Amino acid sequence: MSKDHLFSSYDQLSSTWDEMYSSNSEIREQYDMIIDYLKNTSKKTLSKKEELSKQLFMSQGVTFTVYSDNEGIEKIFPFDIVPRIITAAEWDKIERGIKQRIKALNLFIKDIYNEQFIIKDGIVPADLIYSCPNYLREMKGVKVPHDVYVHIAGVDLIRNNDGEFYVLEDNLRTPSGVSYMLENREISKRLYPGILPRNNVRSVSNYPNLLYKKLQELSYNSNPNIVLLTPGIYNSAYYEHTTLARLMGIELVEGSDLVVKNHFVYMKTTNGLKQVDVIYRRVDDDFLDPLEFNAKSVLGVAGIMAAYRKGNVNIINAPGTGVADDKATYVYVPDMIKYYLGEEPILKNIKTYQLGRPDELQYVVDNIRTMVIKKTDGSGGYGMLMGHEATDEDIKDYLDNLRKKPENFIAQPILKLSTAPCYINGQLSPRCIDLRPFALSGKDGIDICPGGLTRVALKKGSLVVNSSQGGGSKDTWVIQ
Amino acid sequence: MLSRVANNLIWLERYMERGNGMLSLLKVNYYANQDSPELFSWEPIIRNYNASSEPFHTEDAIECIEFLVFNTGNPNSILNLVIKARENARSVQEHISRELWLSLNNYYLYLTRKDLIKKLREEDPIAFLDELKKYHLTHNGTMDITQERGPAYYFMNVGKFLERVIQISDFTEMKLIEIAKTSDSLEQSFYWKNLLLSVGGYQLYLKTHKSSFQENHVITMIFQDKLFPRSMYYCVSKLGRHINQLIEIQELEKNNTEFLLGKLESTIKYTSIESINEQGLHNFILGIKEDIRNISMSINTVYFSHSS
Repeated sequence: MSKDHLFSSYDQLSSTWDEMYSSNSEIREQYDMIIDYLKNTSKKTLSKKEELSKQLFMSQGVTFTVYSDNEGIEKIFPFDIVPRIITAAEWDKIERGIKQRIKALNLFIKDIYNEQFIIKDGIVPADLIYSCPNYLREMKGVKVPHDVYVHIAGVDLIRNNDGEFYVLEDNLRTPSGVSYMLENREISKRLYPGILPRNNVRSVSNYPNLLYKKLQELSYNSNPNIVLLTPGIYNSAYYEHTTLARLMGIELVEGSDLVVKNHFVYMKTTNGLKQVDVIYRRVDDDFLDPLEFNAKSVLGVAGIMAAYRKGNVNIINAPGTGVADDKATYVYVPDMIKYYLGEEPILKNIKTYQLGRPDELQYVVDNIRTMVIKKTDGSGGYGMLMGHEATDEDIKDYLDNLRKKPENFIAQPILKLSTAPCYINGQLSPRCIDLRPFALSGKDGIDICPGGLTRVALKKGSLVVNSSQGGGSKDTWVIQ
Repeated sequence: MLSRVANNLIWLERYMERGNGMLSLLKVNYYANQDSPELFSWEPIIRNYNASSEPFHTEDAIECIEFLVFNTGNPNSILNLVIKARENARSVQEHISRELWLSLNNYYLYLTRKDLIKKLREEDPIAFLDELKKYHLTHNGTMDITQERGPAYYFMNVGKFLERVIQISDFTEMKLIEIAKTSDSLEQSFYWKNLLLSVGGYQLYLKTHKSSFQENHVITMIFQDKLFPRSMYYCVSKLGRHINQLIEIQELEKNNTEFLLGKLESTIKYTSIESINEQGLHNFILGIKEDIRNISMSINTVYFSHSS
């Protein structure tokens, strides 16, 4: 192997699952073809491909703008040219597992905002729900079209050193990243001519059509007016909003384009007001309606919640789904699956300690070097403590703060995220990755786009894949 | 169509067209200035296109071009115009052709290259300006070939021709001020020739009137010619055509836009050169500008009337 310059610095992390190498350092079959291609391509050509991918992102406008000193600078999310490959068998389990999970979570949300059987039956404690900041009283008893709350979910999975996929987060609010799934594939087509068809890579390009179909089904109107509500041009996911609107052929609207009259939502057009039937909103619950939530919000529309409760407009995802993807609720998902579906969970949860419980808190404090602590309502990789790399002082400060409201925190053992080969400085190096497949629910069931977004922690040894903290992404191939 | 989208489309083209006009002006003045700096100062151009609060003076050609292309404090610099045009395009991507967005995005990326300013400072300034102009030609061609004839196309053209009409007025007035400073008829003819070059009508003029620059001929061509795509008459009637299309597909209320346009079109068409000279070209232009302002306001009411 030493003669292969490309691999000469591939130092596998200890007791970590590597997507390309098996435990006895043989290349897994699914990686054969791409590795063969990479081996037979000069370093110069590969570096050119890497450069090309950057240029493509820029010229296609797949960027976000960072503003400083009144000057906007276009940035791209880093992209690694080596695809992440998933076999048909692995995908089959992921797909079944996510479908099962989303089905149960959707039933849970419906139950929580209606009869609350799961609380009455003592499976989930009532105070967990009522103390959850993402629980919306405004949703109580609201009849939701076809009982679908979670139309779009982006479930984060990681692969532990046992080779099993674990669910890290369910992301049931407004998960982003799907446009990168689509764009990464378009780039791969240009980087590796002929390789995708020879690998029988499953196509992802149908996602916008599928999403449109799901949105359309949700309206009782046969030709509904569907819009995508964006917080606006300064949002870092604005590229995604414009892309999805364009690919679905629907209108991209901002809060100020909409108005509510007599409990109907309208958009302001050049020939008057036009009724809106379905709103795929990329605005958080909190900003959706200044009359009911954050009064200072200018991103939403006053009166939209009242129109929603009257059934005059459909909001995607339904407000209040955050009650089910809260990190404290996460612990109960396996129980929900058993309770609502009478099935064993297909995908595993990560062992999670609820720090509101004194015994679990004590255990975590005793084993803090092997734990990651998270705020239950946090996201984006912020507000976390990684026990293995924190200083004593960090730990002390964090715990002091935590003890004020321990029920707002959970802890999990630091898992070994699997690694995948990345092309870094002219060589292949292992980097930690996760996987976010996108699941779409409609009145006829759940569909999952084969693959999803693989996020990668580009910093050596880092476990944080979030784009805001040095993460990048890879194209994800489900083969056969 | 969303009122905000219509507004963004109009302004997208106004910014692009303004940039295009400025580049022509810079190029023509560069040549003229290298010949006779005393006649073709940079001052009138800077005065017309410096919208920043800071005054700027230079008679150095490269400094002036640099200021009007790159200055971030001047809302009218080419860089700022393209940034705004791109932001508008970005927010209406589902309405414009993919090709149009990509070509505009590429223009933006080219303009924001770190080494571009060096090209202006160290290489041929005309090649530099031509390169930028090419992006505008590509933009116009792409729009013509790829954009379906519908509300987005019509609104963009409304912006384009509004801006062009304003430009013709501005360019002419800039020259009138210079012409008034001299009684030398040769010098005056230089200015008329320069005006023709700036609006891109020089070749047509030569074909029609040969190399003799008479004020009446120039004014007639720039304001009343039916076939010259940058004449006032041509642009106003194009503006009218696109507005009528919008009215026809009910994207624009009839109100009095149509009337105002019809009136302006016939004023330009039927005012004889004698009558223009009698009232003075300056006053004639003032009248047109006033009408254009009213037309623009009446289009504006479209997006403000539904905003509550």
